Amino acid sequence: MTNAAETSTRAAQASAEVRAIHRRMLRRQRLGRAMTYLLGILLSLWVLIPIVFITSMALTTPAAVRSYPKSVFPFLPFSTATMEFFLNSRGVLPGITNSIIVAVITLVLSTLIAAPAGYAISRFIFRGRDVFRLSILAVRAFPVVVLSIPLAVVFLRLNIYDNLFSLAMMHTALALPTTILVLSSVFASIPYELEEAAQVFGCSPAQAFRHIVLPLVLPGIAAAAIFTFVLSWNEVFAASILAPLHNRTLPVQVLITLDESSEPYQFAGGFFMLIPALIFIFFIRRYLFNMWGQITK
Amino acid sequence: MSAPSSPKRRRKRNWAPYLLILPSIVYLALFFAYPMVNGLILSVREAGALLTLHGEAQQLSLPTGQLPRGAQVSILDQQGNLISQDELDQANLVTEIWFQTRGQDSTGETLEGWAPGTRIRVRETNESGAPVSGTVRPRIGSDDPLTFIYAEPNDNSEIVGSLEVQTPVEILDQVTLEVWFLVRAEVEEQTEEGWVQSRYLQVFGDGTQGRVSRGDTGQFTTRYFQQMVNDRFFVPALRTTLLLMVIIIPIQFVLAITMALVIQANPKGSGLFLYLFTIGLGVSDLAVGIVWYSIFTQLGYLNSILQGLGLIDSPITYLSATKQYWILIAIILAEVWRATSIVMVIVVAGMQAISREVLEAAEIFGAGFWQRVRYVILPLLRPSLQVALILRTILAFQVFAVVVVLGGGDIVTVLANETYRQYYDLRNVNVAAAYSVFILLLSMFTAVFYLRAVRTQEEVGG
Amino acid sequence: MADIKVENVTKRFGDFIAVDNVSMTIEDQEFAVLLGPSGCGKTTLLRTIAGLGMADDGRISIGGRDVTYLPPRQRKISMVFQSYAIFPHMTVYDNIAFGLKMNKFDGREIDKRVREGAELLHIENMLDRYPSKMSGGQRQRVAVARAIAMKSEVLLMDEPLSNLDALLRLEMRAELKRLLQEIKATTLYVTHDQIEALSMGDRIAVMKEGEIQQYDIPDAVYDLPTNHFVGSFIGNPPMNFMQGQVQRQNGQVRVRIGDFDLSPSNSMQPLLSAYEGKPIYIGIRAENMEILAEPAEDALQVEVLVVEPLGSQNLLTVQIGDDLVKVATHPTFKVKPGTKVWVRFPEEKIRWVDHDTRQALYPS
Repeated sequence: MTNAAETSTRAAQASAEVRAIHRRMLRRQRLGRAMTYLLGILLSLWVLIPIVFITSMALTTPAAVRSYPKSVFPFLPFSTATMEFFLNSRGVLPGITNSIIVAVITLVLSTLIAAPAGYAISRFIFRGRDVFRLSILAVRAFPVVVLSIPLAVVFLRLNIYDNLFSLAMMHTALALPTTILVLSSVFASIPYELEEAAQVFGCSPAQAFRHIVLPLVLPGIAAAAIFTFVLSWNEVFAASILAPLHNRTLPVQVLITLDESSEPYQFAGGFFMLIPALIFIFFIRRYLFNMWGQITK
Repeated sequence: MSAPSSPKRRRKRNWAPYLLILPSIVYLALFFAYPMVNGLILSVREAGALLTLHGEAQQLSLPTGQLPRGAQVSILDQQGNLISQDELDQANLVTEIWFQTRGQDSTGETLEGWAPGTRIRVRETNESGAPVSGTVRPRIGSDDPLTFIYAEPNDNSEIVGSLEVQTPVEILDQVTLEVWFLVRAEVEEQTEEGWVQSRYLQVFGDGTQGRVSRGDTGQFTTRYFQQMVNDRFFVPALRTTLLLMVIIIPIQFVLAITMALVIQANPKGSGLFLYLFTIGLGVSDLAVGIVWYSIFTQLGYLNSILQGLGLIDSPITYLSATKQYWILIAIILAEVWRATSIVMVIVVAGMQAISREVLEAAEIFGAGFWQRVRYVILPLLRPSLQVALILRTILAFQVFAVVVVLGGGDIVTVLANETYRQYYDLRNVNVAAAYSVFILLLSMFTAVFYLRAVRTQEEVGG
Repeated sequence: MADIKVENVTKRFGDFIAVDNVSMTIEDQEFAVLLGPSGCGKTTLLRTIAGLGMADDGRISIGGRDVTYLPPRQRKISMVFQSYAIFPHMTVYDNIAFGLKMNKFDGREIDKRVREGAELLHIENMLDRYPSKMSGGQRQRVAVARAIAMKSEVLLMDEPLSNLDALLRLEMRAELKRLLQEIKATTLYVTHDQIEALSMGDRIAVMKEGEIQQYDIPDAVYDLPTNHFVGSFIGNPPMNFMQGQVQRQNGQVRVRIGDFDLSPSNSMQPLLSAYEGKPIYIGIRAENMEILAEPAEDALQVEVLVVEPLGSQNLLTVQIGDDLVKVATHPTFKVKPGTKVWVRFPEEKIRWVDHDTRQALYPS
């Protein structure tokens, strides 16, 4: 009898101990979770707060921009006056137009040139493939600063200096390596068997590409194109060297007039340049890992 | 026997891939290789450093020697020579105009030939301004009142006759000649003599003395690099660039790895975290400069918050020449804010490549969280980290607009900004090219250094 | 002394119940195999025992110690993973030493154990190599060496042979069996390959849809399946099941298949009498039927539909009632499709399965 009682007490003790362990585990798990959230939220705030600041500067009255100390509540008073002031300043609207023109030409050119190369890398094994890939990687690492000066000299000699199209060509050169690598990874994600199957069922290679591959890769190509657009939209060094006079892009216009411009103008400009980043990165964030993950392979 | 025919193993050489990559190769050659070489040439080659002397007043005649730019010369003789219409805008050009004339000489015979423009006074021009008739000028202070008429527009050519003063002539044609000078100069105790085109000379006084103002051939020179190094902004720019790199990169890596670990832990809302963490990838360095300017400017957010908390009484001026460290701090924060995302993306991509089972194995065999990070995750991330490090370092040499916005471009300056200034403000293309070559060399050096460092570590660690 | 006791363990992923109220005990030094089709929850159960996912319900104890809520590293176990999970950045030596280092063994002990483990797996000359330069079979050996160097009393293996090619798998199977007998650890081995399970395990737990169907020695699992699923999952070809009708003739229970009457053994009579007038499954393995070229008493005439010569035997497919039945014959028994042959069912080899519950019926 004593034996049985002893066993049952021991079992009760054991289960109490297990419960304690369980509680400890749960607590530790919850703590880990909480730490993760805490870190995530802190880091998010680190990213978000400056954006909130610049946004609330841009979306208020110029008077509020100049006021001090600034209100703790952002967007008060809410007004589009600062943005209007910026957009109506001399050189801004043409700058925006120029930026868009350059970015669109860059996007089209780089996609047209990069897509075949990306397809070739992903689909064919040919002599020189690795050399080509490696040199693209190397080229991507070259600084913009290094290219701009000599290109300016060449463009001057060819009389295509201070010209939107030549700036777009320069941006294309900057974007091309990335675009080629991204597109090759996009193509590589479509199994070649699909194309072969289409050919077995009667497509020509071109038809197989058009009906099978193209619809599947379009989102990826779009992502790469958007990235190219943002790259061109943001680029300021080459733009200010190659087209600093009559064909300024928006960043160049803002940069060159920085000294003589007022704070409302600057903040509105900063905010305006930020918008594409906020929008486009949202749509292509899934592909970013394709783009940058690839290079470590 | 037919071998299994896989599309990737065809015997016949397949030209399709080469055709497909051709456009990009051509493009990259045009816009990378060519400017790269060009930049190098610009930075080390002094254009027009030497002037070639000719045996005759002819471009095609044999060269007799060379004179450096700036050499003093004495002019012994001069002669006109034909020049093409589109070369007329050259600097220092001395030209002569010759007219093809027709008039009657003293014997009443009709003479047709060329006379120097200085000898003919134009009396009449047509509607387009071209001379049609004139008279022979008197020769002041000369014994011979006659003006020679030559067979060709060149005073070495055959004299076909001469005209008297005030003889009316018809002007049939006119040509512009560039004057060639026969010059003599002492260069390194040697006498050089030969003909040169007027465009390369600056002629003084009575036209017997001159100076070589530019040459027609280039020469290797280190003077642009010397100029760069001796520039008063060079050392500060280099120092600041390196300083920013050394401070920013470690911060970015710690932050990026933390962000990646948060995302890897995959909490609810990790999609939102991912989006926020990647925003920086799309932000330009000009915009980020302005964003942080709004915080650090005198009437900006930092002061507003500090004053709101009662920590300060009146706004502090952060971004001023006397407070360079505040400018540096602002630049560091801005760069960390913007460019951590690219490191994060590379690190996350690297983490996703680590097999889940490998991490579980580490857990089973007794590794806690920190041990897993230290012994498994970080070592496996090494290739990714290496790529990120190289990329970040190279990008760090290109920091530009942030510095211009926050540092005004001269209080605190960096290499890329100096390149821009040499080009845009000082119009010194060669020194700007020297800067860009210097940046290129630094980038390549660090890339090779990282790759080496990592490899030796592996060999030693065996 | 390290038995593994799993009591009423349930593991859910959202609404999906991967492991459903499972209980099993693995005795000390026993080699138990979890066998089942993919998605049956066997790997989840193993991972729950390893601590790579906490049980939502129930208890797990190892050697009498309740480990239900302990993290893996406190459970004193070691494990071999399906993908081997070799650390690619470490040499073979460091891989094997990893667990020992994490558990703070002293250097000499680590060295000794690493070399012992490597010798047991015949990889002692590869200790300085990196896994990237090794074949799949060699990596597999590293994974096993790493697990046994821990000398844990419990060894968990998650389909360790499934990534090897057929020939290597055969070789490794025999070697693993020898090794595990030598090291005497309590082992739980997950596989979907019944041959592995039958040839290696002391006991086999057959799982389906998160539940254990049968947990018994290999012979019993093969010969005395507890239900329709186990019979048709184990064995190649699987057990034949034919549908029959239970009837009573002259006071005897008979089972009618098509136009043939089968008489159950005496021991089954009382059990089957309850099924009078109802359908029932008759299960029999291909190799347990006798096949005759001539008519005989108790033999059913069937037509051969397909002949598959397999070397060691010829496998005939015949139609009995509405069911297709596989019959194994000696390779010298030559027939052509379309031929008539006679099949006899030895009564002690017949297994009876309830038509509705699909549970096998055995006389108690």
